[in-house]
Amino acid sequence: MKSRLKNTRRRGRVVVSVVVAGVLSLGLAACSGGGGGTSGLDGNTLKMYTWIGGKADTQQWNDYIAGGKHADPKMSVSFSGPPIGDYYTKLPTVMKSSSAPCLLTFQNGRVSQYVQGLEPLADLAKENKLDLSAYSSAMLEQLSVDGKLYSIPFNAGPTVILYNKKMFKDAGVADPTLNWTTADFIAAAKATTKNGVYGFAIPQASNPISTLMAADGHPWADKNGPKLDDPNFRDALQLLVNLSNKYKVAKPLEAAAGGTFPDIDAFSTGQAAMEMEGLWDLQHEQQALGKDNVGIAVIPSKSGVSKGFIGGSGFAITKTCGDKEKAFKAIEAMTSKSALEFVTKSQASVPARLDALNAWSTNVGSPQSAAVIKQMIGDATPSPVPSNQAQLDTLLTQYEVNAFSGKSTVAEVLQKVKAGLAQ
Amino acid sequence: MKSVRLDRAEEASSNGAVPPVDPSKGRARRRPLGGPRWVGWTFVLPGLIGLAVFIVIPQVASLILGFSNSTLLGGTQFTGTENFIRLLRDPQFLNSVLVTAIFVLVYVPANIAISMAMALWLKTRIAGRNWLRVIFLIPALSPMVANAAVFRLLFQKDGVVNQMPAGVGLGPIPWLSDGNWALAVVIGVSIWQSFGYNMIVLGAGIDSISPEVIAASRIDGAGRFRRFFSITLPLVSPALFFTTVLTVIGAWQTFAQAYVITGGGPGNSTMTIMLYLYQTAFTNDQLGYASAIATVLFVIIAIFTMFQLWGQRKWVHYD
Repeated sequence: MKSRLKNTRRRGRVVVSVVVAGVLSLGLAACSGGGGGTSGLDGNTLKMYTWIGGKADTQQWNDYIAGGKHADPKMSVSFSGPPIGDYYTKLPTVMKSSSAPCLLTFQNGRVSQYVQGLEPLADLAKENKLDLSAYSSAMLEQLSVDGKLYSIPFNAGPTVILYNKKMFKDAGVADPTLNWTTADFIAAAKATTKNGVYGFAIPQASNPISTLMAADGHPWADKNGPKLDDPNFRDALQLLVNLSNKYKVAKPLEAAAGGTFPDIDAFSTGQAAMEMEGLWDLQHEQQALGKDNVGIAVIPSKSGVSKGFIGGSGFAITKTCGDKEKAFKAIEAMTSKSALEFVTKSQASVPARLDALNAWSTNVGSPQSAAVIKQMIGDATPSPVPSNQAQLDTLLTQYEVNAFSGKSTVAEVLQKVKAGLAQ
Repeated sequence: MKSVRLDRAEEASSNGAVPPVDPSKGRARRRPLGGPRWVGWTFVLPGLIGLAVFIVIPQVASLILGFSNSTLLGGTQFTGTENFIRLLRDPQFLNSVLVTAIFVLVYVPANIAISMAMALWLKTRIAGRNWLRVIFLIPALSPMVANAAVFRLLFQKDGVVNQMPAGVGLGPIPWLSDGNWALAVVIGVSIWQSFGYNMIVLGAGIDSISPEVIAASRIDGAGRFRRFFSITLPLVSPALFFTTVLTVIGAWQTFAQAYVITGGGPGNSTMTIMLYLYQTAFTNDQLGYASAIATVLFVIIAIFTMFQLWGQRKWVHYD
């Protein structure tokens, strides 16, 4: 009897074990990497992971895909993704997952942290006879790491000053010229600060610092990372603090989650007369404030000879993509001259190809704004993008608040950031 | 000897096939639902799989990763106890432990006290008390991230909250630009969000107290305070223990409030352990180090929970 009972129990255990093992292995199989020829594709359609913060972003990607189809009718791309604030945080996990896409997008040249999962594109460009000289060389340099190109740019995002023309006119301030200085900028901000409206909205993190440094011809980073010990870095952050605390022309920065844009909110709701942002924000501001009410100016510099800070965006291919050739052809189509010209009909972002700039000037910009863009792109301060930029931005966002509240000096803030980066 | 299956023992006994068994012994050996053993396993299996896939495997994987320098996109090399030694010297991590400890010390007592006070208030015969219960529970049912985003706007320098002191001639309070105020905001929002749940659980505990016991204490001349400390509190102690354990665990794991309202700033004044863990893993791309932080956090929570389980013998009354 004992042996029969034992046998029954043993059989039961075996059955249970097999079922548990089967279900677990099914689950684990579902979690494991996809690989194979269809990875990153949905049938014939290439999957693209990108930032989608709302209708404007959705429209933007639809326009690039429509532009690509305009150049290559066979091209088929679908897209999905989170808002830009979460994009770079989720990207590594998505790249590692079994549903990793074929195509990715990168903003401000931020490829260096992700190159381990990206396909170098130089060989594919050579095989497909893509003429890389048609793209801005500064952008190609920004999207390369150790001499290897990982992303083909589709728009040039020079950071500029966007200003509210009506507020300038009401305050009796003339439109900024191509050679306005930091002193001119402060004077304009002072004149437009009144009735609870600030002259300028200060952006968070490293972008305003790198842009102000670039305007005076100083690169903000080198191969060793951000130049936190450079006096020009300190001066740029000090200027931002002074705009709030000394000149009283900007609201001080407060603690906020990374990836939020209080400066954009302030400008688009008429609470600030100027902001410093990439041109990608132009269309959004035109919709909020009126197309003819948003002016573009170069970044003010000490000398009046302003240089641009390029933050181009590009398409990249994942290493796990099942059909890299097809993915590259899609990128080629979406960044072709005809596609980028097509996109300028509905999008304000500046095309990455120099031969499509005329179409942008015709469709989007006034002669004045076209002149600003030409100066910013044509005379840009080249600068590498450090691989720890996300960490730097998080630390700067946290600690710079203490400089605005007067609890710390700018030098102390930079020391804290440096110590955080060293961890 | 005639063999008989244990689950058929009762039937066999009634037929006279086997002598009747002692009921007290039989109860201990019989499976409650009867039937073969695999039936029980079938019922347990879905939960077991969920436990294995979503809790045990990730927990073990996290423990193992804590001994490596794994990154999200790169390879993995085992580094022994290096991450744990580094944690002891990492001022950012030590600060996050301090911030979270302050959060726990303020948030847990305040949460329990407010929940208990509200539960006692709603026990009185006030009009619409069931509606009030639902209203106070709404924050606990709404998404924390959405709530926190709204509170961030309210507590800005020129936000609605600062309009009130401005109305009586006081200067704006630096809610989000001073570290102490920012931590107070994070704690306050957390209490607002979660007291409703504890209020319902404690309210159920208070409702289960027999009216006869309360009536007897009144006859014996016990006043309000005596009744609360000598009758209500001991009898509601199981519910109080349950809410305290869960609130302490949740407090050590605080993330969304600090992430959305302050991003850990100003400086690192609101950097909780979970937020630091998140930044380490997904912003700094140090998965191995973040896993070591997760292991330490697990140990901290386990110690606190065990301490509470041990301590319950002294103050929780189940009779």
